[in-house]
Amino acid sequence: MTNEQIANDKSQRAPSPFVNFHLQFVIFVEMVRKQLIVMTRYPVDFVTSFVQIFFMILLFTFATIMFEPRGATEMSGSMTSRTGGVMMYGFVLFMFASDTLWTIGYNIREEQYQGTLESLYLTPASKFASLVSRVTMIVVWTGLLSVAAVVFVQLFLGRLPFQNVGLGALLLVFTLSGMFGIGFAFAAYTLLVKESAQTTANLLQFTIMIVCGMFFPFHALPDVLQSIARLVPLSYAVDAFRSTLMGYPPGFPELASIETEIVIVVAFGILMPIIGYWLYQRAERHARVTGSLAEF
Amino acid sequence: MRLRIMSRYPGGNLIDIAIPTFIAAMPILLGQAIGGGAAQAAANFQQNTGTTNYVAYLLIGSNIFMIVSGTMWNVGYWMRREQETGTLEALYLAPTGRGSILLGISLYGMIRTLINFMIAFALGSLVFRVNPLQGNILLALAFLLVGMVPLFGIALLYGAVILRVKEANALIQLAQWVVSFLMGLFFPIAVFPIWLRVVAMLFPPTWMNNGVRASLLGVGYFFQHWYFDLAVLGVFCVITPWFGYWLFTRIEHGIQRDAGVGEF
Repeated sequence: MTNEQIANDKSQRAPSPFVNFHLQFVIFVEMVRKQLIVMTRYPVDFVTSFVQIFFMILLFTFATIMFEPRGATEMSGSMTSRTGGVMMYGFVLFMFASDTLWTIGYNIREEQYQGTLESLYLTPASKFASLVSRVTMIVVWTGLLSVAAVVFVQLFLGRLPFQNVGLGALLLVFTLSGMFGIGFAFAAYTLLVKESAQTTANLLQFTIMIVCGMFFPFHALPDVLQSIARLVPLSYAVDAFRSTLMGYPPGFPELASIETEIVIVVAFGILMPIIGYWLYQRAERHARVTGSLAEF
Repeated sequence: MRLRIMSRYPGGNLIDIAIPTFIAAMPILLGQAIGGGAAQAAANFQQNTGTTNYVAYLLIGSNIFMIVSGTMWNVGYWMRREQETGTLEALYLAPTGRGSILLGISLYGMIRTLINFMIAFALGSLVFRVNPLQGNILLALAFLLVGMVPLFGIALLYGAVILRVKEANALIQLAQWVVSFLMGLFFPIAVFPIWLRVVAMLFPPTWMNNGVRASLLGVGYFFQHWYFDLAVLGVFCVITPWFGYWLFTRIEHGIQRDAGVGEF
């Protein structure tokens, strides 16, 4: 075999980095397309997601009104701007957190139930692309829901504070990145524990809701829970995001100075996806070795 | 069989018991933050609901919500899971009456949710330091037990919708929020505009929820006296299961004719 033939042979076996990147990108786009097609096949899901957001907001608004001194006698626009900001911006992050757990983490389980997970793993597609394609769906879909929720509150329940939009958006990007890392880690957990993952997802969702102060300020938490909240990076993300959008009113941010919180949020956004994906790869390898990928 | 499956997942039961406390914790903490302390929160809450015991009020709401939601999940999600795992068609081919299967699933749900209610309410009371043994407990139990019968009917209605539309997850999630809103999970339905109040009162869990709250906390019955409210629930006991079963069998026959039982 001549040197030229050897070189040709090598280039056939190992594509150039550019070709490889292009290939991975095409696979990723196809994965996103697959997720989109699945989503459009279930139109009820579209409608119900939108409708339930309004019920959730109304439910918490009425709960808030029950504790307002003016209360039920003055319903319209009675939510104070600060209460509304704390609740709504926390609610936006809660929607992303919840969707991350279910769409990235628990979705693996759905594929197991439907018997498509093993087939997906037998295709030469990147597993990373498979996970990240689910992320794209969350960004698009939950993003739309969040915008709809905020607009709904602005129009019908009183104006929300809306300041420092640039920094708020940046904090949101890093927070989402960190959440997706949690989603990857939860997908790993789902591969290992199978059915129990549903229970854990439920528990995690409610724990996050309380410990990360999604619907109320952190000072409302008992001391023990406040101490726990300070150990969770997502709490700082929630605090920094809503304090920034509210224009840092007195007492906000509550957990640390905004500079410290920004550092924590950025670190969370960079490190968590790496840790999450590393955990996912380990769990996936374990499932393959033990032959439990398609078991449920 | 369902009880045996349940015993295989003890973690799930523990979560079911803990969740009502989590649900109630959110408005409790939010209320204390708005009021600036527990005492002011209680005073504000009394102005709007008629009781200072907002912790028990919210705990009752969240626990009854779990009963309603659990009943719907049991039937709706069971059906969807059987479809997804490919066993629903096989179950339909078995020489067993459909009524007994549905009744079995619902009975299992009722036993489970009632036991969970007792434990979860006690747990929540312990966590938030309120006395769970107050008011007319027997009457509250009567509202709870009578209210379970129409729930069976609602679960059947819901099962019928799942059978037809198939998207159980989306529907269950939506139903959970609609249910919690209509039954007044965190507030009395008196705050609703009149048309919405009428809609809420056509929904049996609203009566169940208010009946238990009124019995234990004295917040007032819809028709002033407990026996009128209980009688309304009694009427729902007849209408809802009958209507639910009728609709379920109708949709089921349609789907069987179209060979769509195993599809998902």
